[in-house]
Amino acid sequence: MAESFEEFKNSFSYGSRGDLSFKFLKKLDPEMAGEAISQILGAIGASFDTGSVAELHELVIAWQVRAYDPGEGAVPAYAYDTAPWAPPAKPLSECRVGLLTSSGHFAAGDDPMPFGEPDMTQPEAVARIGDFMRESPVLSAIPRDISRDDLRVRHGGYDIRSAVVDHNVVFPRDALVAAAKSGRIGSVADTLYSFPGATSQGRLRRRALPDWVDTIRAADIDVLILVPV
Amino acid sequence: MCHVSVGHVARAVEEAGVATVGVFVAAFRFVARDMSLPRTLITSHPFGRPLGPANRPERHAAVFEAALALVEAAQSGPALIEMPGGFGG
Repeated sequence: MAESFEEFKNSFSYGSRGDLSFKFLKKLDPEMAGEAISQILGAIGASFDTGSVAELHELVIAWQVRAYDPGEGAVPAYAYDTAPWAPPAKPLSECRVGLLTSSGHFAAGDDPMPFGEPDMTQPEAVARIGDFMRESPVLSAIPRDISRDDLRVRHGGYDIRSAVVDHNVVFPRDALVAAAKSGRIGSVADTLYSFPGATSQGRLRRRALPDWVDTIRAADIDVLILVPV
Repeated sequence: MCHVSVGHVARAVEEAGVATVGVFVAAFRFVARDMSLPRTLITSHPFGRPLGPANRPERHAAVFEAALALVEAAQSGPALIEMPGGFGG
């Protein structure tokens, strides 16, 4: 039996086509997904003549935004009325700045080994996204001065292609170090942190976060840069 | 769900007395809004590339500087601002 259009669009989200940059198509109804694909193909056609893919990129981003828009009246899974507030007590030029991302980076030789499995590949992580969503997250400690060659990334919830090419797209260590060298910030924490953000929210909040907060405070970090993916 | 996870990290760390700023892609602006995060910079970038395209250090530095500037400028939270420029910078 021929594949239906609905099956086709859904296949990009952990299905047979499994391209996580386009998993948003599953969140669109068939009519809207058809419009998205039509517009994207139109932009590809136009790029042959303009030589620019900027319009194509902006279009994909716009459809990602539209697909995830919860719409008016939607009830958020997690909502809070007020923001906690702890501004730094000194100028940034005197602050120690840290970095924590949900990009799934870790140092070579320090694989967090999800579910006890050594050397899990990216496709294996994608295939086990359901297991990740039920488990406690593991926070990887990454030396600030780690070489690019010793930095690894694995995450079952997003397209890591760009992060593999250049960790800075999700783990901006280089900009952080440069800010310290220029005097914009006082210093960089010795250790940076990352975890795969696709995880159990209950286990994250109750089991992991108390220890993570202690770790951040013990490192005398004044400002923490957070990057979700 | 990554953005919700980081939202919970932001709230817990800030409640413990450490200033935080998050760099979110535009598709998950609503998470920062709903979770009332202290400081959030929104970039018009695609999933998986919140700081910008690979091997574009000038764009990464500009986004990073905007996040630092938000920490300096915000007087109360939630503070949420948009990063100027598109994915190409």
